Parts: sequence; structure tokens; C-alpha cells
Amino acid sequence: MSGHPSVLVVIPAFNERDCIGGVIDEVRAAGFDCLVVDDGSRDETADIAAAHGAAVVRLPINLGVGGALRTGFRYAHFHGFTTVVQVDADGQHVAEHIDELLTALDDRDLDLVIGSRFAADSTYRMTYVRRLCVRLLSFVIRHSGKADISDPTSGFRAIRSPLLEAFAADFPAHYLGDTFEAVLVAARRGYHVGEIPVGMRDRQGGRPSADLHALVVSMLRACTVLLTGTTFDLPVRPPQVPT
Amino acid sequence: MSTAAKQALVLLVGGLLIGAVILRLARKRLLSTRYAIGWLVIGGMVAVAAALMPFVGRLGRLANMTPTAVLLTMSSVLLLAISVQLSISVSLLQERLRTTAEAHALLARRLDELEQRGRV
Repeated sequence: MSGHPSVLVVIPAFNERDCIGGVIDEVRAAGFDCLVVDDGSRDETADIAAAHGAAVVRLPINLGVGGALRTGFRYAHFHGFTTVVQVDADGQHVAEHIDELLTALDDRDLDLVIGSRFAADSTYRMTYVRRLCVRLLSFVIRHSGKADISDPTSGFRAIRSPLLEAFAADFPAHYLGDTFEAVLVAARRGYHVGEIPVGMRDRQGGRPSADLHALVVSMLRACTVLLTGTTFDLPVRPPQVPT
Repeated sequence: MSTAAKQALVLLVGGLLIGAVILRLARKRLLSTRYAIGWLVIGGMVAVAAALMPFVGRLGRLANMTPTAVLLTMSSVLLLAISVQLSISVSLLQERLRTTAEAHALLARRLDELEQRGRV
């Protein structure tokens, strides 16, 4: 069994047959239970994932990262996990850093901790436009006064109760909804959101599912969401009874 | 107030009204953000349409139509385009629904077979 019985690593995957095996091996070697949510892949991603020892949930249609993640959150909640660690299927996230995320959750009493790409030892490269967009989103979150996050679009994060149950009930499926919007709304509703710097690798293979056009479009919708306050439902953080 | 000014006012109020209705619908989660953005853009275009009136007049003279005819034509084309886009969306949704229904049915069947095996 895994060394962390209440932690589930959720890996949303869409046509990632080149990378998924390696990612699962790394996560399991780090001692964690692993769930791959196959987001309607057309290739053998799900079969490869199962062969490498991960639990697999196969979505019949493509829902996007947010949809796949919510499925993962529901699975985790149903099976009694209290903490979910999101790991990308493309090999950019380093499994050894998962412990650092979990430690930060405990040490700083956080409900959501994000692994930020802006760290000194990172070999991760980002195009100028992308970096600019991320800086803009980070400024917006900082401006809302609720949290200081320099990398709100990073998918490498850990979430635990009570935020996990709230996300299992409702979580955005559109691009950047699962990263930026989720962080902003959680912070606004009183959940404790924090960040730690981690190193990341470049994509290990396959093709990214988002491009510059998608990024610009989602920046626009992020602005609209902020202006109109239209966003997904999240209950206010319930007061925690200390045990 | 001149006719042009009255026109501009009507368009501005119309655009703002559209915006208000769309925002209300979006807050009630009846409209997804994607469609809310689209309609807000249209509302914005209507609100500032008065500024485009001279351009419309020039188009009318070019096509030998009154400005009113030009505006009606543009509105009709826009509504047509929106209808077509919605038709495409609906078609896509139908296909996804069909796939999900099939997956659901086959899954239920697998469950039945497993339960049968458990009982025998």
C-alpha cells in the first residue's frame, strides 16, 4: 500500500500515451496512490495507465482539464481521501516535490497550496507572452487582497478538506477555470491559499492541448469573470473545529 | 434634441439594457461565460453604434440602400450567424450526449453481468 493513505494523486490525461507511463512510475515510486482520469483519449492512454498500476477512470467524452479534475475530486471524496495532489500527465511536474506541497499544507494550515514555476533552480522555459499573462493573472489575485500567488496557472497543487469536498461539488471545466479561477474564488470564499516555489521540467513528449489563441481568449474571459462576478459556486469555508 | 442625438441615445440605452439582461442571466448561472462574453460584445457594439452612423450612410450610398436598409441587413446577417453558431453547438452536444448514453448503457450491462456472476 502507499505511504500516504489519505492522499490521492490525480492525473488528468488526454492523449498522453508517450508520457503517462513515466509519470505514474515516478509518482508511485514516491509512495503515493495514483488515479488517472482519462479525458476521452483517442489513444491507449488509459490502457497504459492501468498497466503501470494506476487506478483509471475513463470519461466517455472529453470534458477538459476542469471536468477531468472534478471527476478526480469526486472519486477522492467518495473513497475517503482527504487530500488530492494534482499532477500533469506530460512529465513537467516532479514527483519528489509532492512531499513539499503536503508539508506546506500542514505547516501553514492551508487548504490549497500551489507549486509555483518561478523558482531559481527551474529548468522550465516559458514564452514571453505566456509569462506576461501569468504575471497579469497573478496581479489580479494579489489585487483582490485575498492571497499572494505568483503562479496561479500552475497545475501542480495540493488540495485538502474542506476545499476538496467543495470542489467535488462544483468546479469549472473551461480553460483557466481550473487553475486561475479556482484559486481566485477559493481565496474569496475564505479558504486558505498559499504557494511554494518548485522546479519543473519541460514537457517530456506529446503535444500541449492549449495554444496562444486559447490563452488570449481565456485572458478575456478571466477579465469578464472578474468584472461581472460570474463564476462557479463555492460555499464559504466552514469554520474548522480543532481536533 | 436632434434626430441623430435621439438615435444615439436610443442605441446607447438599448446596448446597456442588453448588457444588464445578460449580466443578470450570467449571475443566475443560466448563461455560460462563453455566451455571456459574446452577447456583452454585441451589446457593446449596439451601445456605440451611433458613432458608426456616418460609416453606415457611406455604405448605403455605395450599395444604393437607405441607411435603415443597411442596418436591417447587417442585423439580419448577425442574427443568422448567431443561429448557425447555435445550431453547430447543439449538434455537437447531441453527439456528446449520444456517446455518453451509450457508455452509460454498456456500463450498466457490465454491472448486471458482474452481479449475476457474483450470485451463481
